[in-house]
Amino acid sequence: MRRTGFLVLVVSGMVYACLSGCRPKPRGEAPAQPGPEPGDGQTNLAKSLAVDLSGLKSGDGQPLLLPLETKVPPARPAAPSDLPEADPLHWYDMEYAGWSVAKVDLPQSPRDGAIGKRVVTIINGDHPYLTAYSAGMRKVADAYRMDLRVLSPNWKLDVQNQMLEEAINDRPDLVILIPLDAKVAVQQVRKVSQAGVPIILSNMHPENEAMRYAICWTGPDDWGQFRLLARAWADKLGKQGGVCYIRHAPGGSPYFARTYGPISELSGYAPGIRALDMQAPGFEAAKTQQVVADWLTRFGQELTGICAADDSAQAIGITEACRKAGRADIVVVAAGNSKVGMDAVKAGQLLAITYQSAEADGAVALKAAADWFNGVAVEPVRYLPKHVITAADVDHYLPAQW
Amino acid sequence: MPEGKRQRLWQALRWAGGQRIYLLFGLTLVAMSLWAPKFLNAYNLTVIAKSMSLNALVAAGFTVVMIAGELDLSVSSTLTLGAMLAVGLRPGCGWWLSVPIALASGVLVGLVNGWLVTKARIHSFIATLGTMTIVQGIIYLYSHGSSVSVTGADDFALADFLETPVAPLLTPRVLVTVALVAAIQGVLSWTRAGRNLYLVGGSKETAWLAGLSPGLYVSGAFAVSGFTAALAGALFGMGISSATTDLGVSSLMDVITAAIIGGTAMSGGRGNVLCSALAVLTFAAMFNGFNRLGFGSELRIFVAGLVLALVVLHEAWSRWRHERQRGRRAYLMAELEAARQAVAGGQTR
Repeated sequence: MRRTGFLVLVVSGMVYACLSGCRPKPRGEAPAQPGPEPGDGQTNLAKSLAVDLSGLKSGDGQPLLLPLETKVPPARPAAPSDLPEADPLHWYDMEYAGWSVAKVDLPQSPRDGAIGKRVVTIINGDHPYLTAYSAGMRKVADAYRMDLRVLSPNWKLDVQNQMLEEAINDRPDLVILIPLDAKVAVQQVRKVSQAGVPIILSNMHPENEAMRYAICWTGPDDWGQFRLLARAWADKLGKQGGVCYIRHAPGGSPYFARTYGPISELSGYAPGIRALDMQAPGFEAAKTQQVVADWLTRFGQELTGICAADDSAQAIGITEACRKAGRADIVVVAAGNSKVGMDAVKAGQLLAITYQSAEADGAVALKAAADWFNGVAVEPVRYLPKHVITAADVDHYLPAQW
Repeated sequence: MPEGKRQRLWQALRWAGGQRIYLLFGLTLVAMSLWAPKFLNAYNLTVIAKSMSLNALVAAGFTVVMIAGELDLSVSSTLTLGAMLAVGLRPGCGWWLSVPIALASGVLVGLVNGWLVTKARIHSFIATLGTMTIVQGIIYLYSHGSSVSVTGADDFALADFLETPVAPLLTPRVLVTVALVAAIQGVLSWTRAGRNLYLVGGSKETAWLAGLSPGLYVSGAFAVSGFTAALAGALFGMGISSATTDLGVSSLMDVITAAIIGGTAMSGGRGNVLCSALAVLTFAAMFNGFNRLGFGSELRIFVAGLVLALVVLHEAWSRWRHERQRGRRAYLMAELEAARQAVAGGQTR
C-alpha cells in the first residue's frame, strides 16, 4: 500500500513536470539566460573585439595563443580508400576532415560580442592533459568574462550523450565538444546543431560528416606533427631499420594519425624503414612494457625504433622494457609534451616528442567561439602550431603543463 | 536506550532496508528537484529516462542470472557486440536482418555461458570472464579496432525516431526498455518457470530434488541476459547511428552496482528486475542532478561507491542480526533450559 502510494506520488510529480511545459526552446527562439542588454550589443561587441589576449601565458611560459598553423589541403583523390595505406592520400578524408565540407544550416553569428556569453564544454574524460586543457580555456573565458562550464563524462559514451542532451536543455550560447569517437560525433553534433545550439569541435578529429554541423574544429595537427616527428626519427635511424608503433586508443583520430602519419611519411622520406608491428595496449605502462618486451624477443636486433602515441605511461613502459633488455640503442619518439616525456627527452630515453600545448588546445577552442560571437570569420579548421621537442630545446618548454 | 525503543529503531531500519531502492529514488528525485537547476522539466526527465535505458536492459538480464545464483560478466562485451553487429551489418543487410542477427548473437553468447557453467562445470565468474574476453576479441577482429557508423538519411531518421518522445518522457527506446523489464519481472513473479528460477537460485540441490532441471534454468537465464545485453547495445547503436569497440566496458560495474542496490542477492534466489532497473534510473537521475549542480565526475564515482558500500554494509548487518536473532529464539532457549533441568533432575534422582 505504501509502495503504491509512493509510486502514485512519483508519477504525479512526473506528470506535473510534463504538463508544466518546460521544454527546450526550438531553434530561433531567444535564449533564456540574460545576455547583453538591448542596445548594448554594439558596446559589448566593441569591448569584446578590444580584448587583448596576447599577454596570456601557458603554464610552461609559452604564449597561450601562438600563431595558428596554416595548411593547404591538396586535391582529393577520386577514391582515397583505394590507395595503399602507406600513401598519405589514403587518409585524405581523415586528415583533411572539415576543410571542404558543405555546412548544413549553421546558426548565424550573433555579432554581439563574446563578453558574458555562456559556454558549455564537454570534454571526453579525466586526464592531466585535459585538466591543463580546461585551465587554458578558463584563461580565455576569464579574459572575456564568459560563463564557462566544463563537464567530463569520464570516457563514457552514454554519459557524454547525456551531457549533450543536458546542454541542449540548458540552452547555452555555444557548446564545445571533444568527441569520444570520430564516428559517433556525427550524431552528437547533428543533434546539438538541430536543437539550434552552435557547436565547436575540439582536440579529437571527428568524421568529415560531423563537420557539416559544426562551426569549426580546433586542435593539434596530429598528422602534420607526426610527419614532422617521423622525419626527425628517420634521420636518427639513418633512414633504415625495423620499427614498431604503440597506438592510441581505438576509435579516435589519433589512433590512425599517430600510426599512419609516420608510416605514410616514411614511405616517401625513408622507404628503407619497415613497419614491423603495431599494437594498442592502452595507456598503461605495464601493458606497454609487456608488448615491447614481446617485440624485443620476437624481432631482436631487427627492431631499431619505436613510436608511441603517448609520452607518459606508454613511454614509461617502452623505456622500462628497453632498459631491462639492455637495448638502449632503440630510438623512441612519442606524442607529448608531458612532464614524464620531457624528462625522458632530457635523460636521452626519448629522441623527440611533439609539442602539443594542452592549455593552448583549450584556449584556441574558446578563442574560436569568441571570434564567432564577435562576428570574426572562423576558418573550418584551426590547427595548433607544429613543433618537435628534442634535447636541444626541451628546457625551453619546462616546467611542463601536465 | 529502552528495549522497546531499540526494537522500534531496528524495525524501522529493517523496513528502510527493504524499501531502500524506493527511498533512494524518492530522495534523489526530491533533492534534485529542489536544488538542481532545470532538473524537473519534461525534456530533462526524458534525458534521464533515455540515459537509463541502456543499462536498465542489461541490468534486467544480469539480475535474472544473479537470481539463478550465477554471475554474467560477459554482458559488457555482449552489449558491444549487439551494437557492432546491428550497425556494422546494416549497410549490407538492412536493419531488418542486422538487428535479429545481433540479438541472436547475444543469445548465442548466453547459451555458451550456460553450457560452460552447467555442463563444463566452470564457475560462472571464470566462464563469463572468459567469454567476455573472447567476445571483445571478436569485436576487435570484426571492426579492426575502429568504430562503425551509418550515415544514410534513413538511418538518421530511425535514430531520430528512437530518440524522440512518443509520449511524455517515453521515447521508443525507453518504451522497449520499460516493456521488456516489466515483462521479465512479470514472468519471474507470475509464472511457474519464474518461481522455479528463484528456487534454483536459492538451492540447486533442492530444486533438483523437487524435480526441476537446474541446468536448463541456468542456461535460460544466461540466454535472457545475452539477449537483453545485445538488445540494449543494438538499440543504443541505432539511436546514435554508430557503435564503438568499448561501448559496454563501463556498463559492467554500473549494472553490478544497480543489481546489488536493487536488492538482488549475490548468493541467488532473491532479486527483482524492476528494482534493478529502478536503481539504474536512480543513478541516472542522481548523476544528471550532479551535472546540473556543476559537480565533477569524481563525485559521481565517489557517490556510486559510497551508496554501494552502504548497501553492502547494511546487508552484512542484516545478516549478522538475523543470525544472532535466530540463535536467541526464545522457544529454543526454553527447550534447552527444560532439557538441561531434566538432565539435572535425572542426575539428582
